Amino acid sequence: MTTVANDAPPPDTDGAVAVAPSGRRRFGTAWLAAAIVVGLLLGLLAGLLVPSLRTPGDDAPEAGFARDMSLHHAQAVEMAMITYAKAVDPRTRTIAYDIVMAQQNQIGTMQRWLQEWRLSPTGSQPRMAWMTGGAELVQNGLMPGMATTEEIDALRAATGENVDKMFITLMTKHHLGGLHMVDGILAETHRPEVTALATAMKTGQQNEITAMHQIEVDLDK
Amino acid sequence: MSTPQSGGNRSSAVSAAKKAAAAAKSTAGANTAAGRTAASKATAKAAAKGGPRRPVTPVKVGQGRNWGPIALFVAVGVIAAMIIGYGAYYVYQGSQSWEDKASSISGLINYRKTRPDLMKSGQHQQGTVTYDMNPPAVGPHNPSWQRCLGDVYAAPIATEHAVHSLEHGAVWITYRPDLSKDQVDKLAAKVRGNDFMLMSPFDGLDKPISLQAWGYQLKVDNANDGRIDEFVRDLRQNATAEPGVACSSGDYVTATGTTPRDMSQAQPPAGTGG
Repeated sequence: MTTVANDAPPPDTDGAVAVAPSGRRRFGTAWLAAAIVVGLLLGLLAGLLVPSLRTPGDDAPEAGFARDMSLHHAQAVEMAMITYAKAVDPRTRTIAYDIVMAQQNQIGTMQRWLQEWRLSPTGSQPRMAWMTGGAELVQNGLMPGMATTEEIDALRAATGENVDKMFITLMTKHHLGGLHMVDGILAETHRPEVTALATAMKTGQQNEITAMHQIEVDLDK
Repeated sequence: MSTPQSGGNRSSAVSAAKKAAAAAKSTAGANTAAGRTAASKATAKAAAKGGPRRPVTPVKVGQGRNWGPIALFVAVGVIAAMIIGYGAYYVYQGSQSWEDKASSISGLINYRKTRPDLMKSGQHQQGTVTYDMNPPAVGPHNPSWQRCLGDVYAAPIATEHAVHSLEHGAVWITYRPDLSKDQVDKLAAKVRGNDFMLMSPFDGLDKPISLQAWGYQLKVDNANDGRIDEFVRDLRQNATAEPGVACSSGDYVTATGTTPRDMSQAQPPAGTGG
């Protein structure tokens, strides 16, 4: 072992020696120090930048989804609150209660994402621009499945079974539009927290569509 | 076991050679021959003492500057400085709070600084409230908020409800009733379909357009003013005194005009099942 080590010195020997085999003058200590300082600064910068580079930016699909789905959810909460107060069928009231609690909670989660990503709740992109082909889905300023102001007012004015029926019609349409947006973000994102919440939305809303359809069938009997 | 030892010897031999070379350089100056001799002597001596080692080529001094590597280092240094500068700016921008961003809007009135007494949230009172700002952007208000799901009200609304919406994080755009239709349409396009936004005409404004968020106000002359979007982007929802509360429900009737409604006196809506 000794013989080998002596015959073949480690390659770093060249670097440590003050003179080079070519006989040229090596770069001075000042250059070496400068290189180390630049290296350290780049390292520090990378450390500062990596967290912000790894979180979605202002125009990222995740940011657009968080903003737009918050608004989409807000309308579902509005319709469900109106319905919870006066629907006839207890199952409608239960679904309405479920939607209020789940979707308001999900709004909170999505707003928290934006805070953690240091983004404003208000984006600089138009609604739905984050989704492939999303901008074309906006009609009269309304995202897919959303009710018009007139429809909300009609629900507010409705009485009796009409509340249940109107709610089921509006919320089924609302959920179908929401599912479209959920599929849009699932195709764009790899962030686990976004995928997890979007998948939960998908499962929950699909189940609610089925349950609402059953109530509708029973009411028509 | 013998490898680390020989390594240690080698490094001491190297430093001896370095010292010798430096000494020769300083005393003999440009006398390269002397420097070379001293260096090779020291190297040979150190090598003899420290055991077998690679032969070292003698030092050459007094050559012309090697511009290639210098230029390379300068270029790398400049690029590194640019990257660092950009990165530092980016990090600084990203770390700015919404308050910092908002404070850079020229002409922004910050009542949070000038009127901290009004900042206390949850000051609910029935009936007409007298405000000493026009329109009010913070202060006591009606227990019922004005619905702010992107509502564009065509007629003046009760200020007491609107201030409550501001507390929930809404931006309230007000304009002089004589503002031209295309200007009103431009403002409405910023509001319609966006929750935490509401808009209504307002009598007695000192400027054509006035924007309010909880504790903030900005007055502008034109709907094309870029500061409107800045105000909305930085303050909508951010300026809330009650994070998490909604803009839905609330009072959305404009027919009754600017008189605040007392919900405790109002009849429950038809069909409410108790």
